[in-house]
Amino acid sequence: MRTFYFLLGLMTLSAGAINAQLVFPTEIELPEGFAPTQVLMPGSPLDLQVLFIGGVDLVQTTPTYGNPAGVAVAKEWHDFIGFTPDDTGETMGWVTVNHESIYNDDRIGDGGGMTAFRVERDPITGLLNVVDQELSDGREGKFFNVDFVNTVGETGMNCGGISSVVDGRIWTAEEWFRGDNSAINNGVFSNNNALGAGPYGIGSSSNQGVRDTSEFTIDSPDFPAFDGMTIPKYQNFNWMVEIDPREATAIRKQYNWGRQGFEGGAITPDNKYVYLGVDATPGFWLRFVADTPGDFTQGDLQVYKHDADNKWISIGENDPEKLLNLSAEAVAVGATMYNRNEWVTVDPNTGDIYWTETGRDEPAGSWNDEAAAGAVFAPHHLARAIEQGVTGPDAEDYKDYYGRVLKYDAITEEVSVAIEGGPFFEVSPLEADYPEKHLSNPDGLSFMEIDGQSFLIICEDLNGDDHGRMPFENDNANGGLGNRLCELFLLDLSIEDAVVDDLIRITAVPLGAEITGAVVTPDGKSLLVNSQHPSGINPFPYNHSLTFAIHGFDELLVSNLTGPNGVPSETFSAYPNPTLQTVFLNDRQDVALYSQLGQRLRVYRNVSQIDVSQLAAGIYYLQNENGETIEIVKE
Amino acid sequence: MRGIIIFTITTSICYLSLLLPFGMSTEQSSANRGRSELEAARLAVIGDFKVGLDKLSREIELYQQVAATEQVAQLRQQHAATREAFKRVEWLLEYIDPTAVKRFINGAPLPKTEPHVPAIVIIEPSGLQRLDELVWEEEPDFAAVRKMLNKLQREYADLQLYARNRRLQHRQLFEALRLEVVRIFTLGVSGFDTPASGLAMTENLATLLAIDHVYDYYAESVEEQDAILHRRIVTALRRGEELLSGADFNTFNRLTFLTEVINPLTSGLVDAQELLEVEFSAAARNPVNPRAKLLFGADWLNADVYAKLPLSDYEAARVELGRLLFFDPILSTNNQRACASCHLPEKAFTDGSARSLALDREGTILRNSPTLINSVFAEKFFYDLREERLDRQIKHVVHDSLEFATDFIEIVEKLSQSEEYVALFRAAYPENPDYMLSRYSVSDALGRFVKSLRAHNSPFDRMARGEAAADSEVAAGFNLFMGKAACGTCHFAPTFSGLVPPYFRESESEVLGVPATKVWENAQIDSDLGRLTNSKPGDEAYFHAFSFKTPTVRNAALTAPYMHNGVYAELEEVMDFYNRGGGAGIGSFVDHQTLPPDALELDTEEIGSLITFMEALTDTSGLTKTPIHLPEFSVAEWNGRRIGGEY
Repeated sequence: MRTFYFLLGLMTLSAGAINAQLVFPTEIELPEGFAPTQVLMPGSPLDLQVLFIGGVDLVQTTPTYGNPAGVAVAKEWHDFIGFTPDDTGETMGWVTVNHESIYNDDRIGDGGGMTAFRVERDPITGLLNVVDQELSDGREGKFFNVDFVNTVGETGMNCGGISSVVDGRIWTAEEWFRGDNSAINNGVFSNNNALGAGPYGIGSSSNQGVRDTSEFTIDSPDFPAFDGMTIPKYQNFNWMVEIDPREATAIRKQYNWGRQGFEGGAITPDNKYVYLGVDATPGFWLRFVADTPGDFTQGDLQVYKHDADNKWISIGENDPEKLLNLSAEAVAVGATMYNRNEWVTVDPNTGDIYWTETGRDEPAGSWNDEAAAGAVFAPHHLARAIEQGVTGPDAEDYKDYYGRVLKYDAITEEVSVAIEGGPFFEVSPLEADYPEKHLSNPDGLSFMEIDGQSFLIICEDLNGDDHGRMPFENDNANGGLGNRLCELFLLDLSIEDAVVDDLIRITAVPLGAEITGAVVTPDGKSLLVNSQHPSGINPFPYNHSLTFAIHGFDELLVSNLTGPNGVPSETFSAYPNPTLQTVFLNDRQDVALYSQLGQRLRVYRNVSQIDVSQLAAGIYYLQNENGETIEIVKE
Repeated sequence: MRGIIIFTITTSICYLSLLLPFGMSTEQSSANRGRSELEAARLAVIGDFKVGLDKLSREIELYQQVAATEQVAQLRQQHAATREAFKRVEWLLEYIDPTAVKRFINGAPLPKTEPHVPAIVIIEPSGLQRLDELVWEEEPDFAAVRKMLNKLQREYADLQLYARNRRLQHRQLFEALRLEVVRIFTLGVSGFDTPASGLAMTENLATLLAIDHVYDYYAESVEEQDAILHRRIVTALRRGEELLSGADFNTFNRLTFLTEVINPLTSGLVDAQELLEVEFSAAARNPVNPRAKLLFGADWLNADVYAKLPLSDYEAARVELGRLLFFDPILSTNNQRACASCHLPEKAFTDGSARSLALDREGTILRNSPTLINSVFAEKFFYDLREERLDRQIKHVVHDSLEFATDFIEIVEKLSQSEEYVALFRAAYPENPDYMLSRYSVSDALGRFVKSLRAHNSPFDRMARGEAAADSEVAAGFNLFMGKAACGTCHFAPTFSGLVPPYFRESESEVLGVPATKVWENAQIDSDLGRLTNSKPGDEAYFHAFSFKTPTVRNAALTAPYMHNGVYAELEEVMDFYNRGGGAGIGSFVDHQTLPPDALELDTEEIGSLITFMEALTDTSGLTKTPIHLPEFSVAEWNGRRIGGEY
């Protein structure tokens, strides 16, 4: 026995001193009557309900392209979700879902699109029911295609949007800025085909974009400057477009807000300002100021310039030439440049505006010309460039791998960084917290209250998997095929100077699903989210683009969303958090998970918490490097 | 680590009562000693890796200095030295950040589009492979070399910082080693990443020595528990070093290298990992099965990961339903064409036509019908790489006016008029009654059937696994394929398709300059723009014009005619085309041709060997089963449909 004591001591010592990595036996024997500490992990108080499956569910269509009204398989690539509360009290309200695509469809219409449906809360189950509707155009059913073709013209790449916190008015944003007709058609190429090949159709009805590329005449009496104007078809794309979710039809393309690769926006609680996110490098920070609150057909379009005395510079709304060439106008006034602005959201309690700046790895080539022409870099980019030891954001080796969330304070008119993405090990997260904590390329953004406290909902959409964006420590990071994991985080807005370590990861989403569009229901019970292009290896229907609800947020306390408080304990112990489906450990260490029969299931290295959301219910054993064991019962 | 640092001998003893019942008893004290040996090995490997990283950093600096002096000979010498330093750390650096290495350090010298941005931005190639081309030009452009080196230096500094601070585990070291073994064979000995210098064999030796060096640290632990395994690994390493020392690129025997070096190493490393009780990564989402032992084994690639179809308790029922649907012309608008119309089992699921007949019986569809056997092993599907999911290929066929010319609403309506079909769908998709018979289930069943079409037991596979004696003609052909004829630098082993090793997660396309008609001079390039027109906005870059997915060479003996337009009827013609440098050799050249434009200078005998090798890749066993009956419908005129379609 003496030898054993000695060796064991040696082992634990070296384990401590040099971050040792021991090997866990593939099998452990469980003696009769052995009673380790038992930790109970109840099921998550949050549960999932699928509402709308893209590419499978059928939508009701209007007469389109000479086809009669009928049904079609819904488009996919779900992105933004709008929620319009039902003032009549009859139901809860209307849900609208963007389809971020450009492909043709004889019944839905070419380009992207939107689907609308109406939901009520089932008084018994608490679930959401999609209710049957009859619209005034005679369509009947559950899911309705929003008619763009017969109203305002096709839309494309419907990405983010606006779901007004005031009254639930909905706008869809047409992202992916298009520069000519061939770029909306995908069938006739002349754009950057250096070979100058002529018209070419591939003979397939499913693989082309917008087929009608004849000139478009604008019919929009709300905007006299545009009404009756004839423009190339592609210029009728890349606007914010208001729709009516109740009738599943489009109202107007918001020509007076200018033409950009819009990704998202938000309306302030006073119903006067619209803040707009543009996904481009440079992306400008735009807003529209309504002359009369709630009437967004008249007012002033402005662009932000942080270093000017008057930070908002008017572009005007009556000059189509300027609004069609908005980027050039922004450059001309020396506006502030950002690196791919995405979604915008408003904290209705404070009026603060937040938006995601998703980042682009090497932005220099994309904004140097504009910088030379007078546009200015956002101050945080200048600061980052200094930190990186390069000459400026226009330096070839200036990097912006991770992106961030920005905050605009409407009172001071200042923009600050709400949370910087990373791993930037010098700053955040703490090296010890990586890889559990990391934030890369935030994209979708929304606001919700839990337990009376304000939270941002941040959705990742990774630009790449290098430089730690997909932590290689993750079992599946390497050699994975489509294994990119985009995560859904909550950020408590009461935290000052938030860093990545403060993020709360919500695991109640299907594995591998890319989450977007998060919006909370008016009763605070449910978060509606889209899974945009999930990995096919999820079980049906989670292998399709879909809209689902996570129920149960109204019952959560803020304390349900955090790990154990206090200093790490020396005793091997585990703290279950059912909401996060995470077992927190007494300290960072190596542990192995064993089945009830003592078979090693998985080894976790250097972890302070374990995600057990994917484990089946049952009994498990967790063993640490000293051979100490805890029994985990997952319900 | 705070809590653990405080642990002392005394506290450990206090825990003894707790520890004893579990996993640690006195008889395991030797295991404990084994563990501290293992730990020493891990730390030594990591220490060496960091030294290697610093060495590479210095070599890049030296390279910059030499580039400033404009001495060609020294430049090339320093290029080789830098590459060699890279090869010493490649195994782990690639593992830690494969994307960054590919992007900045040692990626293929071809332009790419910037990923995941709402615009087309073309990124010019940089890194060591591009430098390999630059410094081996007759008169190197020193300014360009210096510029590229500056970029390399900056990017490497970033990567080095990231890489040296990772916490590396035994598991990761073993996985990285195995990847490197595969990399040597699939890329290294084909000269993949030394396009101009021809330094491949020297570098492969450096790489193998790096592996040897790492194994050496673990050797004692392995030997103690399994001396035979240890000997197997060491013997393979020595044999490999012997074969690679002074090896000639053209005469190097790659099949011998595979069976005597690579196979014992890939299997030996897995065995050692198991022996040492080092954990494996979760298999479910990795393209390469972490426990697979042989590159040419049926279990090397994980078909489920490629198919992107969830595991199902109803797999068999779904595959059988998929088979029925595959042969049933009810899916097409005129009830006369089935998937099998253009994918005949006896022709390895191709149809023998240059381009398949169109639905109207008059024209043809756009491209040649590709084999479906092993087609699951791809990142993207179709010649133009337009579809990412196997179960969605069918969508394109369904909607295409030249193929099925229908839609899923019509198909589902039709199928629901067959009680027999409804029962089959109910049995195969009981979990979601609302979607039991829907676009989803129809696509899923067909996808699973195509996934099931896999074959890994051709005569060559058996030779490659060492189960059959090597046939000298086949071996000669294989050697040419992987060497002088440079086929294997695009048709990568073991799938012999564009699925890029060692991660096997990307499908490549290539611009060859395939002519519109079979002429050997002043040829016109086929006007099909390929990948450029796949309607994926991210692929709208000039270098994707005329670019087509690199298909598998497996079963080539059955899949004539060849190329995306079926222009060549015989394998001899295909070889002739490549032997002339593709389009560059016959007049149908475009500037962005990715196939090297040089003639291969293969003689008739060599071409014969190559074809013999390709013919040894035939295997359709067990895959040609055709249903004997199609389900009955309540609509009388639909019964009597011909199995596999009328035409």
